[in-house]
Amino acid sequence: MLGVTFISFLLMVYFGPDKTYELLGKNPTEEQIREVRHELGYDRPFLVRYGDYLRELVTFDLGLSDSNGEPVAAILARTLPVSLALVLPGFVIGNLLGLALGLLAAWYRGKWLDKLVMSASVVGMSISFIVIIIGLQILLCTPYGLNLFPVRGWQVDGPGSYLYYVTVPTLALVLVTLGYNTRFYRAVMAEEIERDHIRTLRAYGASPAEQLFKHVLKNSLVPVLTRIMFSIPFVVISGSLLLESYFGIPGIGLVTFNAITSGDQPILKAVVGLTGILFVVALMINDMLYSLVDPRIARP
Amino acid sequence: MTVPALRVSGLSVWIGSGADSIQVVDGVSFDIDPGEATGLVGESGCGKTMTAMAILGLLPSTGVRVSCDHIEINGRDVSRLNTAQRRKVLGRDIAMIFQQPATALDPVFTMGQQISAVYRRHADGNQRRAHEAMLASLESVGFERPEEIAQAYPHELSGGMRQLSMIAMAMVCKPAVIIADEPTTALDSSTRALILHQLQQLQALHGTAMLFISHDLGVVRQSCRNVMVMYCGRLIEKTDCQNLFSHARHPYSAGLLSCIPQLGATRPGRISSIPGQVPALADLPSGCHFAARCNRSEPRCSESTPVLDAQDKKGVACFRPL
Amino acid sequence: MMRETWQRLKSDPYGLSGLIVVSVFFLIASCVWSGLLGQGWYEVSGTRWEGISAEHWFGTNLIGQDILQRTLFGTATAFEVGLTVTICSTLLGTVMGALSGWYNHSWLDEIILWLKGVLDAIPFYLFAAAVAFALQGSPWAMHVAMIVTFWTTTARIIRGEVIRIKQRGFIEAARAIGLPGLKTVFRHVLPNTFHLLLVQASIVFVAAINTEVILSFLGLGIQDGVSWGLMLAESSQEVLAGHFGNFLAAGTALFLLLMGFNLLADALQDALDSRRIVR
Ligand code: SF4
Repeated sequence: MLGVTFISFLLMVYFGPDKTYELLGKNPTEEQIREVRHELGYDRPFLVRYGDYLRELVTFDLGLSDSNGEPVAAILARTLPVSLALVLPGFVIGNLLGLALGLLAAWYRGKWLDKLVMSASVVGMSISFIVIIIGLQILLCTPYGLNLFPVRGWQVDGPGSYLYYVTVPTLALVLVTLGYNTRFYRAVMAEEIERDHIRTLRAYGASPAEQLFKHVLKNSLVPVLTRIMFSIPFVVISGSLLLESYFGIPGIGLVTFNAITSGDQPILKAVVGLTGILFVVALMINDMLYSLVDPRIARP
Repeated sequence: MTVPALRVSGLSVWIGSGADSIQVVDGVSFDIDPGEATGLVGESGCGKTMTAMAILGLLPSTGVRVSCDHIEINGRDVSRLNTAQRRKVLGRDIAMIFQQPATALDPVFTMGQQISAVYRRHADGNQRRAHEAMLASLESVGFERPEEIAQAYPHELSGGMRQLSMIAMAMVCKPAVIIADEPTTALDSSTRALILHQLQQLQALHGTAMLFISHDLGVVRQSCRNVMVMYCGRLIEKTDCQNLFSHARHPYSAGLLSCIPQLGATRPGRISSIPGQVPALADLPSGCHFAARCNRSEPRCSESTPVLDAQDKKGVACFRPL
Repeated sequence: MMRETWQRLKSDPYGLSGLIVVSVFFLIASCVWSGLLGQGWYEVSGTRWEGISAEHWFGTNLIGQDILQRTLFGTATAFEVGLTVTICSTLLGTVMGALSGWYNHSWLDEIILWLKGVLDAIPFYLFAAAVAFALQGSPWAMHVAMIVTFWTTTARIIRGEVIRIKQRGFIEAARAIGLPGLKTVFRHVLPNTFHLLLVQASIVFVAAINTEVILSFLGLGIQDGVSWGLMLAESSQEVLAGHFGNFLAAGTALFLLLMGFNLLADALQDALDSRRIVR
């Protein structure tokens, strides 16, 4: 957490764009420069500024956006739910589907079904995110395809309109992640199926369903949960960054993207901080789930 | 004449397919009567475990080929059953005890859950009755407080307790046959004695037949009346334990015996007193597989294969037995 | 070992076709570099949005540039990015991994591990965008962003391998006969991990090309020249008007190359996996 904020702070704030000249216009005097730098706090030592930043994060006193003067906290509160609503369905479906396909492929390991699923997932991994998005748009959103959904935008005011706007981004997210997810889950499941205690189950006449859904699944929960928990921060930030900037959806990703291109530091700092927090929360929940799932880890 | 609890005849297993396939079990046949314990001994890699897995039908369907005349449990041929029918047999009529109780038990379920699941699968779906059967089974293997064991996860038990729990799991449906694959190899010697004792008690109590697989002749002698010696996928001598120790007839059996420094206290033995090496399964010599290492061999040993009478309790596959 | 790998690879139809696809693309890229192909990528040789014709196989774009030429040139760009990033990040990862493996449990190891953890924790596109922005104007911003994030997996592999080999003691033997430590690492460990590196490198390559497309699309990628990412970015507006030339050409080329690399990486991994199940 400290690391994330530290590196990002270093990168974005210290080496980031210098606002001095922007504020002063052309040909400032030495005096003016020093004044403004002092105002902005640029002249204080690095560690002090970093400390300030951490304090801001902890107290949620995130300051005002440079570009429109809106409080950063308010911007986050407005955009974060949009992003979550946007990526959540795709994230859940992508993982569940990947899990199901991975389980299937692992069970029929070496058979044609396995080969089919794995080939399909390589194909899936080979299609770029952008190509998927554009392709889906052509197929679903333009007169050249089915023309069922909007090309971009987000005017959600109920379940109907939510479905209307979320379908295509969700499909895109599912298609992009499915190949990777399937491969990962297949590897995990194949390893679990090989285990001795699964052989014991077979020796005692357990049905495939009992082996897979009761024992393989429960034993593989630890790596599966880890992957899911740790991909949450990435999907929320990276996934929404791409989806939103493409589909023009006013979520946290778009805000971040705009902030990067316009150098809106308070927002960037907040987003980075948020990522760090998400990460730590994911870590904590993960540890908690571990001890629930695996009796070998001390129960609290 | 009694119907044998387990009758295996003409069991062969090949690994791989087509011309590359390697035969790892070759025409194995034997009978085990109810209440009888028969040891299957041989060096590691000789096909003991393969035999057991093939009897249970646990070998993977790809890359392995199994053929047999029949495998009968209490007179019922189970070798031609389809998967669903076979599942009904496994755990109910024939149960297996594995070598490594640490890995053979599911770490995320309690012992009680795992044992009663077997009972509910085969005998009675009722939760409460399954629970009682589970506790009774745990008690019958010698646990004084079965409730505690039932609530424990495998990692919370010692190796010996885990193996006893495994035996309780095998016995919960009172099968006709149990196959124990090196059940004591992973345990220290005092625990080993306890486990062997419990197995014998249970066998006597329920009249269960047991196939006891081990590389350790000493352990087999302690727990079995009869013994079969396996070499390179074939049974080469069948006899009773007393006889084997006093009067081994196959030169390989004799060699095995001479490798045991002291009865009872054996370590996984290196067969140092038998000259030469076990031939690679990929290119076994024709005729008697032991010929190249045998000091009694004669030309016909490599020309034709010595066989042993299929379902007899005694016999030796050798042209010039001792 | 190398020969054996090659033998296995040759008998794997998927891997072989992957290799062929990659080679063909590499050939195209070489031709572009040596000036034989794709030189007309910037010329306005037709009118806007021409359809498919003998002159413009894939049609023309918004301002009448030939899409085939641009696709060919994009191949070179893809390899340029892919190779630069792969080579640099592999080198960086190897050095870092070797250092932290060799001095494991020292402060150096701790720092490198910490750095890896941090880099893995930052969502990549955010980071790349930030680097690209911080080095604004530099055409290498994108490369730098990828290199500094992609080395971590390589380093992890090498570190594990170094520690494993160190424990096996033959490094000690080498030291006993007077070879200095770190040099021994490079002499003994790297040949042993070369295969792993190769697999990882092809994975990095795929990631690099993929990322180039996305970053270019976000306007943070290639600054001059043309890439498939830029073509796709262009196409995102055009497809709404029904002009699919850019999209189809760049999308297909991208897919083929990525597919080739993925197949190759898989086949390499299979060929190297000595723990093949014989049961
Ligand atoms: S058959 Fe011949 S070679 Fe084989 S054990 Fe007997 S005597 Fe020796």
